[in-house]
This record gives sequence, C-alpha cells and structure tokens, in this order.
Amino acid sequence: MIFELSNKGNPFFSNIHPLLAGLLQAAAMDPWERYPEGTARLLPPPGGDEELLLDWQELVQPELRHHFDLERSLVAEDLAEMHEVHEVKQKKGEGWSLEIPMDHADAWLTTLNALRLALVEEHGFTEGDLSRNDALDFSSERGLALMQVNFYAFVQECLLQTMESTEGEESDGGDGKEA
Amino acid sequence: MSQPGLLDSPEVSLSDSLDLPWLVVVHNDPVNLMSYVTMVFRRVFGWNRERAKKHMMEVHRQGRSVVWSGGREQAEHYVQQLHSFLLLATMERSS
Repeated sequence: MIFELSNKGNPFFSNIHPLLAGLLQAAAMDPWERYPEGTARLLPPPGGDEELLLDWQELVQPELRHHFDLERSLVAEDLAEMHEVHEVKQKKGEGWSLEIPMDHADAWLTTLNALRLALVEEHGFTEGDLSRNDALDFSSERGLALMQVNFYAFVQECLLQTMESTEGEESDGGDGKEA
Repeated sequence: MSQPGLLDSPEVSLSDSLDLPWLVVVHNDPVNLMSYVTMVFRRVFGWNRERAKKHMMEVHRQGRSVVWSGGREQAEHYVQQLHSFLLLATMERSS
C-alpha cells in the first residue's frame, strides 16, 4: 500500500491489497450495531456527579451519538468512491485506491478511533496486545480484530501526519487556562 | 485597611470567590494515539504543539492531566468537545 498526497493535496492511498480494502470498507460499519459490548467506551461518563451524569445521559450523549453518525456518513461517502485499479500490462498500480478529502480527515480520525476503541473493548485487548510485534494469528477472529485495530491506527497516523505538515505553528489561545 | 477597587475587578467577584473552580481532566487510554491526543488538544484548546505535547505526555506518563479549570458551564463544554474526539475526559471540583 502506498500513501501520498494526491494532485489536490488530499491523503491518497493506492495499491491497497483487497484484504486491507475490505478493512477500510468496514470502517463505515456502525460500532453500536457491530460491537455492542464495545461501545460502552464510546460514551463515557463526564465525572462522578450524579446530577451531571443524568443530564449528560439525557442531553449530551444523544448529541455525541448523532455527531459520530454524521462523521461515519462522511467516511461512507468517501468509501463509495474507493475504486480498484488494474494495470495488468505494466504490472503496477494494482489494487484499490482511496482519496480522502482533507476536510473529511477529522471524520475519518473520529470514525476509525471509535472502531478501534470498540474493537479493543469488545475483545478485551490489553496494552500488551496492542504493542506486540510478533506474528498475529489471522485465522482467528481475535487476530483479525487486532490487525484491524493496528491497520486503522496506521491510517490515522497517515492522516495526522498530513494534517501536521499542512498546519503551521499556532500561538497559545486565550481560552485555555491551566489549573 | 480596605483596598479600593478589589471587589470591582472584573476578574474577581464575591460569588466567584465562593465557588471552587471545576477542573477538566483527561485520562489515559492506551488505544488513543499520542499524535491524535496532541492534535485534539490543539484543536479544542487552541494550544501550540509544545503545550499540547506537554499535556499529552502528562496523560501518558501520569495517567491524567488537568487541562483546564474554570466555571462549570465551560468545563461541560470542553468535556463534551473532548468526548466528541473520543478522549476520556471528566470534570471535577477543585479541592
């Protein structure tokens, strides 16, 4: 798989292996449907205050859930444009290609992060599992899930790297205060 | 001896001085990429890279970082924003 910037300056993935293309397509999956056990992590409580928690559950969490749904719909839009390239004669450029519009980068970051969190929660992956470098057992659902978590992390890093390189240094904002 | 103007200062009012500020705390989650957390801090708080990274490393090494303190309403706003990026954030009263 190759990652670079397209002519429009957007993150562009090419030569995507069909297996990885399948994982990318799975990014449009609703984690609440696919990993119901794992989604507990996606809407955490805001603190120990009981009154705050009740208000949060009633007012804030539905808003957050709607926000995540909107982000995922943008990802689904981009995935619908993902296409397969066949350059059989030159024996190059085979595989799938995906261009992510820069203004959708946030949506991709959030959506992939939600899936990673849900997968980790669903399968009970530990910090050790996430940082292991030995060969994974792809024949098991758990092994595939771990590959998915790590692959999505790679895509996130590519997007973050692009965002970093296009953003300049900013001065401290006036709103933030340290305790 | 009284100090004229102290209670008139826009930064200090009698009601504020009786209220303890709320703290916004970000907690460690090994799933969130360090680069992602840094980006979120810059986006939510408008910090430069260095300051965002400092707080990210605090979360990573110490398990948590107090990223803001102030009024309840603004604290709720920041926690909601941080949750929208899937960071583990809570608000608590300053002790």
